[in-house]
Order: sequence, then C-alpha cells, then structure tokens
Amino acid sequence: MAEHMITRPPLPKKPFNPTSVWLSGWLALIWFIIVDLDLSFETLLYGVQDIFEYFSRYSRPNFEDLSRYVELLGQTLATALWGSGLAIVVAVLLAPFAARNLSPNAATYRISRELLNFMRAMPDLLLALIFVAALGLGPLPGALALGVHTAGFLGKFFAESLERVDAGIYEAVTATGASRVQLVMYAGWPSIQREALGYMLYIFDRNVRMAAVLGLVGAGGIGLALHDTLRMFNYDQSAALIVVILVTILTIDYLSTWLRGKLN
Amino acid sequence: MAKIIIKDIGKRYANGFEALKGVSAEIAAGSFTVILGPSGAGKSTLLRTINGLETPTAGTIQIGEQTVTQDNLREVRSQVGMVFQHFNLVDRLSVMTNVLTGRLSHRSWLGSLLYLFRRTDLDLAHDALIRVGLTDKAWNRADKLSGGQQQRVGIARALAQQPRVILADEPVASLDPVASEEIMGLLREICTRDGITVVVNLHQVELAKRFADRIIGLNDGRVVYDGPASGLDHATLSRIYSRNGDQVDEQLETMLAYA
Amino acid sequence: MSNSKLCWPTPNGRPGLVPTVVLLGCILLLAISAPAVELDLGRIVTAIPRMLAFAGNMLVLPDWEYLPILAKNILQTIEMTFLATSIALVISLPLGVLAAKNTSPHPAVFHATRNLLSLMRALPELVWALVFVSAVGLGPLPGIMALSFVTVGFMGKFFAESIEVVDQRQVEGVVAQGASWLQLRTFAHFPQAFPDFVGTVMYVLDHNLRAAAILGLVGAGGIGYDLVMAMRMFDYNRLLPIALSIYIVVTLLDRASDHFRMRMI
Repeated sequence: MAEHMITRPPLPKKPFNPTSVWLSGWLALIWFIIVDLDLSFETLLYGVQDIFEYFSRYSRPNFEDLSRYVELLGQTLATALWGSGLAIVVAVLLAPFAARNLSPNAATYRISRELLNFMRAMPDLLLALIFVAALGLGPLPGALALGVHTAGFLGKFFAESLERVDAGIYEAVTATGASRVQLVMYAGWPSIQREALGYMLYIFDRNVRMAAVLGLVGAGGIGLALHDTLRMFNYDQSAALIVVILVTILTIDYLSTWLRGKLN
Repeated sequence: MAKIIIKDIGKRYANGFEALKGVSAEIAAGSFTVILGPSGAGKSTLLRTINGLETPTAGTIQIGEQTVTQDNLREVRSQVGMVFQHFNLVDRLSVMTNVLTGRLSHRSWLGSLLYLFRRTDLDLAHDALIRVGLTDKAWNRADKLSGGQQQRVGIARALAQQPRVILADEPVASLDPVASEEIMGLLREICTRDGITVVVNLHQVELAKRFADRIIGLNDGRVVYDGPASGLDHATLSRIYSRNGDQVDEQLETMLAYA
Repeated sequence: MSNSKLCWPTPNGRPGLVPTVVLLGCILLLAISAPAVELDLGRIVTAIPRMLAFAGNMLVLPDWEYLPILAKNILQTIEMTFLATSIALVISLPLGVLAAKNTSPHPAVFHATRNLLSLMRALPELVWALVFVSAVGLGPLPGIMALSFVTVGFMGKFFAESIEVVDQRQVEGVVAQGASWLQLRTFAHFPQAFPDFVGTVMYVLDHNLRAAAILGLVGAGGIGYDLVMAMRMFDYNRLLPIALSIYIVVTLLDRASDHFRMRMI
C-alpha cells in the first residue's frame, strides 16, 4: 500500500490565529460584566413583559398643548443652532493650530489638540450643569454647553482633514511667499470644503438631539417639558412630546442626509 | 533679473543620509539652466534650498543681493516662483484664484482673509493667463483641466508673482511629449522675453540639450558637470548617470533608461 | 498700489452667489432664533466671575472616602459601555446585512429595516433610559438596554453602508463558486467590510462611553448620578475627582481608539 501513497511536500506551519483567543476573551469579559453588574435575566424578562404594558400607556398621545410644545421645540432648535454656530466659530479658529502641518510650532499644536480633546471629553450634560449653575435656567446655558462640547469634535475633524491635504498643495502656496493665515485660507479650507460641510451638518444633527435632552437638566427646551410630564406620570402628554421630538429629529436627520448626499 | 550664487551647499538629514555634499554654482541672471542627474542625485533638494523649502545644513544661497536665511523666507519666496511636477493647484478653486495666490505675498492678511484682491492683482493675473494662453479657462475649477493646462496655470501662478527667478521641479515629468514641448517652450520664452532667471530640474536629456543655456550635472549630491549643453558628450553623460560611482561603460541608452 | 480698487476673484468682481446666499441665510437664521435662545451677552459676562469662583471651589482636596465608590461607579460606566456595545454588535450584524441594498433578501425587507434603524437612533439614549428605568427599575440594566437600543440604530446603519460599498467583482468571484446565500455574505461581503466595521465599533465605543457617563442622571447606572448629585449638593470635594476621572477615562479610550485605527490602516 505504501508505494501508492503520494508524499506531499509539507505545508509551512500555519500561523497562529489569535481570533479564538480574542473571541473567548471577549465572551469571558461579557460574562464577568454581567456578574459584576448583578444583571439578572429574570429582571430583564419581567421588564420586557412590563415594557409592553408600559409602552401601551403611551398609546394615546394628547396634543392639546401642541402650541406650547411647538414653541418649546423652537427653543430647542434655536439652542441647537446657536450651539452649532458657536462650535463652528471656535473650531474654525482652533483647527489650523491643531493640524500638524499648519501649526506654527510643536507646542501650539500640542496645546490646541489638548484643548480640543478637553472640550470633547467633558460630557455636554456636565457642561450644561455647570453653565446652568452659572447662568441660571433657560436655553442659553444649553447652547453654550453644546457649543463648547461640539467645538471639540468639529475642531478635531477639521484638523484631521486639514492634515490630510496633499503636502504639495501647501508647499506650492507657501512657495509664493504667502503667510500662514493665507496658507490656511487658500490651500487649507478650500481643499476640505466638502468634508467640512458634511461635518458641520453632522454636528448640527447631533446638537438637535442633544438640545432636546438638555432640558432635563434645566437647560430649557422641550426636554424640560418631557421631564416634568414623565415625573408626574402624565403618559398622554409625554407621548405627545415624544412624538413631537421624534418627528423633529427625523426631519432634521432626513434633511441633513439629503444635503450631504447633494454635496457628494 | 537676479543671479543665484550657490555656495558649498550641504544637506544632511537626521538619519545621516547626505543628499547634497558641497554643491557650488553661480547661475547667471536671466539664464536658462537645467539640472540633470539620476534619481536620488539631489536635484530636487538643491532646487528647494534655493527658495528655502529645504534648509541646507551647510553653505549659503544668495539670490541677487539677498542671502536666503530663515528670517527672510517670505520675502525671498515672493520673488521666486516655483512650478511643480504634480502641478499642486488648489483643486476646488478657480484657475483665476489659483493664479492669484501668486499675489498673496503682496496682500494684507485681512484682505486675503476675505478673498479680496486689488484690481492691479487681477490685471497681473489676467496678463499671466494671456501669456500662457488660458484666458478662456479663467473661471473653471482647476481640477477640471488637463495636465498640460494645469501646468500652464502653475506657470501663470509663478508669473503673477512678477518674480526674478522661476524654479521648475520636474515640470514635465507628468506630461505627454506634446505638452512637455509646450511647457518647456513656454518657460524658455519667459526667460528670454522677461529676463527671468529660470532653473529647471529634468531627467530628459534631450529636452535639456534643446532648451538649456547651461547644464549642471548632479550625481550623488555633487556637481559632476557645469557647462554648456554642447558639452554633453558620451563621457560627460556617463559621469552624470553612473551608479555608485563606478565608471561603467555601458550603452548610454541603458544607463539613461535607469536614470 | 493701495489706491487700486478692491474686488473678489470672480468675473464681475462681486462675491459669488452661493456663498453670499448661504452666509446671509445663516446670519438671518441666527438673528431670528436669538430671542428664542435668550441670547444675552450681559448675562454671560456677569456669569464669568461666578464660573471662575466655581472653578476655584472645585480645587479642594478630594473626599478620600468617596474615591473607592468613584472607582466602582466609573468601572460600572465602562462595563455598561462594553456590554451594551457588544450586545448591539451582535444584533447589528444581521440587521446590517438586511439593511444593505446589495445583501438584503427583498426590497421590502431592506426598506423596513432601514426605517426601523432610523427610528431606533432617532431619540437620544437618555430618553430611552428614562423609559426603561420606568419599566425595569433603577440600576445599570435600563442604561444598558437604552445604550444597546440606540447603538443598534447607528451600527446597523454604518454596517449597512460599509457593506454597500463592497467591491462587486470580489462578490462575483464567490458567486461563481456556487456559494449559498449565507456563504456569500460570510465569505464575500463580510471580509471586505470588516475593516470599516472595526472602525465603526471603535467610534461607537467612544460615543457610548460619553453617553454612559450621563445616563446616571436618570438613575440608569454609571457615574452620571454621582455627578449630578455632587453638583446639586455642592459637594465640591467630589466634583473635581468625578470630572477628572471622566476626562481621563474618555481620553484614554480616545487615544486607544486612535492608535488602534492607525494600526488598522
């Protein structure tokens, strides 16, 4: 029999595939978390059962206060608009310093980057709390909080886009004797125009959602109304509010996706 | 109209690589000089030390009466136009605005922030576009043009600076033969008519022979030839294009093919 | 030179129509909405000394006894993030396949899934957290539920988009081998979309950590509750440690995800 067996040259040793290690590690971590957080499947199941009953309470939205809701909605949108506006101004000013190939020196670069990171890291709700404590209740602290927080995101997006511009283009404008400001204005921003607009729309979209929520900490808008109605277990009005919020967010979402589609 | 004095230029990088090893040359005002050499010879590096895009680790560059230092770079650059292999235009801006970036060194920062230019700037840009024959494309977006047209915009941008010197780093390497002729012809005409000192990096020996007043041959960071185009005989070319210093007497075409 | 007229680089010397209209439109919108946002520069200026005082108040010695609790709650926040993202990941993969035009079994399924995902991510996590807290009680569970829910909405959409930009030729290659419906998606679509998936997961983790830090506000677990309580009770000796630990954790994840993304590219 042995004479008929074909001896194949051996294959190279199969490289170690770490996937199974990662996978088991991941599953172990999940199991650990479930235990550590004391999550009970029973509670979840009961909860899910309860949820259907609970959701049914929202099935009769009461729109009698609609005019007030729309007014609050306007406030929420205004908050999102001003917050986004503030974010854009701050981001446009900081981003060139936070771009490695445009920053005047390493120190400025590091500091700008850290500043943007700091603005991003602070949850906007925390910022809203601080601004409410300082300025009192109302939409203004909300707008400021959104502005500062999203400036961090926008600034980082802008800076990274500016860094990705072809070095040759920056060189060419530098070679004409242009100053740094001129370099940013003529080689930087025009080159990332389209991406920048996309980011700005994304930020506005996000801010509309957050503005709806900031009301929960007293920063005005429709969130405050929702917080009140929920606290008083007024499901009908809460349902109406949620519908209003939902419709608004979906509309803005749809518009911004459409606009971004047109940009491409 | 300015002469360029290159004195003992050395360029050593942080990793120890020496791109230029004591290069000296004197480029006459209003002349058309071509720098030839194999890839890695340091042609680009040398050209870029002239307008300060590379800082030499040794030696000095003098343009006209001015020595190029870290402090007067903007001033120097406003007098020195540069044309690039990949054109390096700002894609989304119009041809006219691209040419106008050549005027930026003469504009105030506030005005340029708002994209404002003076009538005189626009007139100069218009003149430059007439020179390169692209007035009908003035308001088109720069990336909608062909390669040859984009390079002409690059030249117009340099012209708009009203420079004393124009540097061209492999200006025709990305172009087809017809466009290459056009561009080289344009550069030569600018040199002759306006008296602008033109220094061009090329790797096409034939083009160099036809357009240059004078040729500087660079190999491995050193000048191995400095003289008229007529002096480019077989021996000289071997010297310029030899690899690793060996005097291999191969077929010249083969050597040039690997240059 | 300086007595020459100023103009823009356009044929008629005036700024282009589109940028002018857009700029004026934005200014108009802002002007109209200024009263709605109760814009008052005076109010802001007078608040600055108060904010500085507040910042100064925060610079006190931390409440040492509180620190272990802080650590536990921060850990809870991280765990919530991880678990919620994992759960959402598992659910988003099949949903992403259904929501991608090139892998969906039927146009009706495609549209239904797309709309479902859109609805799921429409409301912010906090709103869902409120709802779930009312349903299952306080603690991290409603927070995880809320996070997972909204995350599925985002990840499902991102996954679907990654699948849609897959190279058709590679897919055709596998089809030609006679692969089944599931095999095709596993061996042709998934491997190509995988790098984008990883990028999306990193981005989502980053976003969810910030979201999880807030959910405690409504009792859905995590450090949010401590934070709001400390603010309301003016526990300055807890505020700085809380804010600092949120900042550190978020930044660490941010750096890790940047690093990871660079390695993937």
